[in-house]
Amino acid sequence: MAEAPDANVPSILSASRISKSFGEIPVLFSIDFDVRPGEVHAIIGENGAGKSTLIKILSGIEQPTSGSITYGGEKVVLPPNGEAAAMGIVVIHQELLLAEHLSVADSIFLGRELKSGPFLDLKAMRDQAKAILDTLHVSIDPDARINTLSVADKQMVEIAKAISRDARVIIMDEPTAVLSVAESRTLFEQVRRLTAKGVAVIFISHKLDEIMELADRVTVLRDGQLIATVGTENLTPDSIAQMMVGRELSNLYPPKREPDVDTEVVLSVRGLSAPGISDISFDLRRGEILGFAGLIGSGRTAVAEVIAGLSAKTGGEVTVNGEPADYSDVSKSVAAGLAYMTKDRKGRGLLLNAGLQPNLTLLTLKKHLKMGFLDGRSEAQALDRAVRRFDIRARDPSVQVGKLSGGNQQKLMLGKTMESDPEIVIMDEPTRGIDVGTKQQIYHIIAALAAEGKAIIVISSEMQEVIGLSHRVVVMRQGRMAGVLEGAEITEAEIMRYAAGIKQGGENERLSA
Amino acid sequence: MSMKALTLALAATTALAGAAVAQDQIRIGVSIPAATHGWAGGLNWHAQEAEKRLEAAHDNIEITLVTADSPGDQASDIEDLISVQQIHALVVLPFESDPLVEPVRQAKESGAFITVVDRGLPDASIQDVYVAGNNTELGSVSAEYFKTRLGDGDNIVILRGIPTVIDTERFDAFMAGIEGSGINVLDDEFANWNRDDGFEVMQDFLSRFPDIDGVWAQDDDIAMGVVEAVRQAGREDEMFIVGGAGMKDVIKGIMDGDTLIPVDVLYPPAMIATAMDVTVANFTSNGPVQGEYILGAPLVTQENAAQFYFPDSPF
Amino acid sequence: MSVSVPDTASKPHKGFRLDLKTAGPLLALILLIILGYSLNPLFLGEGNVTNLLTRSAFIGIIAVGATFVITAGGIDLSVGSMAAFIAGMMIIIMNAAVDSMGASIWTVLLGIGCSLILGIGAGFINGFLTTKGKIEAFIVTLGTMGIYRSLITYFADGGTLSLNRGAREIYRPVYYDSFIGLPYPVWVFIIVALLGWVLMNRTAFGRYCMAIGSNEQVARYSAIKVDRVRTLTYILQGLCVSLATIIYVPRLGSASSATGVLWELEAIAAVIIGGTMLKGGYGRIGGTVIGALILTAIGNILNLTDIISNYLNGAVQGVIIVAAVYLQRGSFRTGRRAKKAE
Repeated sequence: MAEAPDANVPSILSASRISKSFGEIPVLFSIDFDVRPGEVHAIIGENGAGKSTLIKILSGIEQPTSGSITYGGEKVVLPPNGEAAAMGIVVIHQELLLAEHLSVADSIFLGRELKSGPFLDLKAMRDQAKAILDTLHVSIDPDARINTLSVADKQMVEIAKAISRDARVIIMDEPTAVLSVAESRTLFEQVRRLTAKGVAVIFISHKLDEIMELADRVTVLRDGQLIATVGTENLTPDSIAQMMVGRELSNLYPPKREPDVDTEVVLSVRGLSAPGISDISFDLRRGEILGFAGLIGSGRTAVAEVIAGLSAKTGGEVTVNGEPADYSDVSKSVAAGLAYMTKDRKGRGLLLNAGLQPNLTLLTLKKHLKMGFLDGRSEAQALDRAVRRFDIRARDPSVQVGKLSGGNQQKLMLGKTMESDPEIVIMDEPTRGIDVGTKQQIYHIIAALAAEGKAIIVISSEMQEVIGLSHRVVVMRQGRMAGVLEGAEITEAEIMRYAAGIKQGGENERLSA
Repeated sequence: MSMKALTLALAATTALAGAAVAQDQIRIGVSIPAATHGWAGGLNWHAQEAEKRLEAAHDNIEITLVTADSPGDQASDIEDLISVQQIHALVVLPFESDPLVEPVRQAKESGAFITVVDRGLPDASIQDVYVAGNNTELGSVSAEYFKTRLGDGDNIVILRGIPTVIDTERFDAFMAGIEGSGINVLDDEFANWNRDDGFEVMQDFLSRFPDIDGVWAQDDDIAMGVVEAVRQAGREDEMFIVGGAGMKDVIKGIMDGDTLIPVDVLYPPAMIATAMDVTVANFTSNGPVQGEYILGAPLVTQENAAQFYFPDSPF
Repeated sequence: MSVSVPDTASKPHKGFRLDLKTAGPLLALILLIILGYSLNPLFLGEGNVTNLLTRSAFIGIIAVGATFVITAGGIDLSVGSMAAFIAGMMIIIMNAAVDSMGASIWTVLLGIGCSLILGIGAGFINGFLTTKGKIEAFIVTLGTMGIYRSLITYFADGGTLSLNRGAREIYRPVYYDSFIGLPYPVWVFIIVALLGWVLMNRTAFGRYCMAIGSNEQVARYSAIKVDRVRTLTYILQGLCVSLATIIYVPRLGSASSATGVLWELEAIAAVIIGGTMLKGGYGRIGGTVIGALILTAIGNILNLTDIISNYLNGAVQGVIIVAAVYLQRGSFRTGRRAKKAE
């Protein structure tokens, strides 16, 4: 743990009674937050707890609905569009915002290039970039192109960029989500160097062990509320997890109907490996809902895409109904009765420019052929059925799908997936970005499908959802299975322990409660 | 002097001189447009034939032939000829005159002997020899022929080439030639020295004008398209067509007494061979060669067609 | 029309606006026909209409193929060169056949067969390099465009390949003869367009083309064999080029390096004028047919009148093409001057 800076040092950046609503929906309620020079202040909370909104307000990208920001002792209104960077508040986003084809030096000076006369002073930029990189003790060539660098090195470039701008506050949004353990170590050293120079660091992470190691103070958010701001020395990972959860499950979720233990296994995965994942093994029974929990980037989608035939495996075995299932493309997995519903409904799930009908039948168009020609009536009937079954609401079936609400898009995509009448359904983030009413509908649909005897995998980053729906939960961490939870073990704190790497356990290892 | 006669005369002198002299290697660069249409195809063929013939006749002559797709290309070609091949002489048929003045001047300054073909450079001091076809004469010879066949009140249509100096020279000379004859030009349209365009433009002329007595296509490729359109309309007996250049199919037709294309006006792609002969003569004959060789644009008729017929040429 | 009836005046306008997205190209064609007729009544003479339709068949047939390629998010720049190359090969093969076995209907059928094989093969090469070679269609077809163009120049020795006279006489009717008042090329065009329409709108293949052009990822996640469908669009394009060539060769009985120059751009222009989106995802065969007719009609009208300087032909074409697409996009709202006649 870093040496805690003096608590009497005045804050460099503080937020007082910040509230924020998007339209009618409040997302932050009267939050107080501050960070001191030389301090690492971690913000943690579940997805949707309000972390990203808070960061956006602290960096000026969003304006608070009420409340005030003080920076360097003065009340300020931070300029939007990232201009706060010029004032010394720099955000390093999880998806690094670097132009892939520029050189390192170009990237560091992007937008405020050094010039001599009307020309770029390439030498000065290269030399200064080199000097900054040297102070970070990293050996990155200032002439290297960004796209040749590892993710970790790209992060270093972002940090160098922040230093070159004399940042006084650096906000890091889940910087370690995409880093290996060793890379994370290097990053922590950099963070300590920065704080030693008096820079304030706001650090967002889901990994509780990291937070325990790095942070001086921790602020816990839940459902847009400030739960507590506590010095790290007074915390344990368990107590943090407890604070993050602290909520009862409502009847948002339908009652669970456990499948019998002797129900047949329809999907069996043994030692599956592919780029980004290794040694995945699990069974899925008819009528079962198997949850996949874990942090973003932990490899859950990769597992699903390999099984569905969207990417190739490098090792292991998958069987569906006892038959080997090496699908080379989606048409094969669909024919075998396995359907995968993507989490990216706008980019991979739906044709946003097309109407409802072509979208619904795209996966199963062959069903609507009559003597080789498309049968419009059969397609229209399918749409009628799907609209009723999944309660899809559109003013007019010819409306472009891109104009539907997220919830209706999601239900249409669910309808499209179910058109193939699969036995096994893998749903990736089935309720991402939709309102709570529609969420509830979808949960009930999922439960009903399981009750019909479908075998279902639900991948979700919302822990509540995994807990509320699943009979068993696979927790993934860094491309591997960190643990498998059953029955009463399925709690948020327990999932968090595995996801954050506090607890380890293979699929066969029983957990000591 | 006819082109053929000139070629023969030069060939004779070069043959004599070639036997006498066997000195250092003489490197000659030939830069011409690529074979993108019929006439240029003929140009390329004649250049290649001349290259073979001259290299066989003279041990010390080494010819490099390069073809370009655009004036810019041609400028680069000439630069390469100077710096890489280190040529002693350049034979160039410029894509366009103006843009190639400087590249050719560079060649001249490097000490090379310059022969310009067909399209003269605006600064005549650069070229040692100028071998040219005669577009103005092509227009006026055609006009003379039309005046022999048609008179007051007869109607003709004109299919032009691509809007360039060449086309304008031909067109203006033709119009000046028929002035006062009473021949009525119904309309003129560009047919881009292209058979398909010749066909389509003529189809439209045929729909539009019920009475056409003559067609001046001023190019044999265009004329071939015009013939098909006239045949399609079944109006072969109503009119005659005059092209230009000397395409072998057309010459053959004239030899055989075709009435639809009774004559042709020569604008021979073989002029490149003439230019190459002249250039070689400068190195192999006793005195330096200099001046302008303006080729005529003789009228090809059934009587004299045989001497303009090259059955092996692609054009 | 007076100001006192704004309702009836605005209603047909509203109807117009709704229709414009689909009927825009048709409207542009009708305006062009009115223009042509008013400049020279011969424009609608029987002979001229037949000429116009026959002429539009080449670009039209090629453009039907291009509609599939573009709808699936691709582009094929090689069609003009490909047509020249296939035409040249047909002539070489038929001339060789005449030399060895004399001119007969079989000579012509042999040429046609070779044309189909070459077209399908050339299309497959474009498709294969684009999908399996993972090279942008623009680059692949730019490359093959240059290759075919040089090959025809090479085989023709820079000159013109001419079909043997005997074979020519047998083949000639394919272009010049008619069936029920319409020349054969027009019938081929009509049949290709109808088949193309059915393929695009009534089969899974057409739907897949639209899906791929709209979003390749969605298509892949929807069990569509993206590479196979893409390759098929290029094969279809090659087949269309081959059909166009089969009716082109008997017209002049020759092919040279000047054959088919810029056909690729005319075909693409016909497709876009017809309402297909250049970025893919939405294809209209009917629009493409109209686009081809518009393009041909422009040239025809310019030949039928001499009120416009020859030097400005290109400018007139440009203006009409842009105006046609403007109409088709229906991207205007107000400010359209009401015409007295309406």
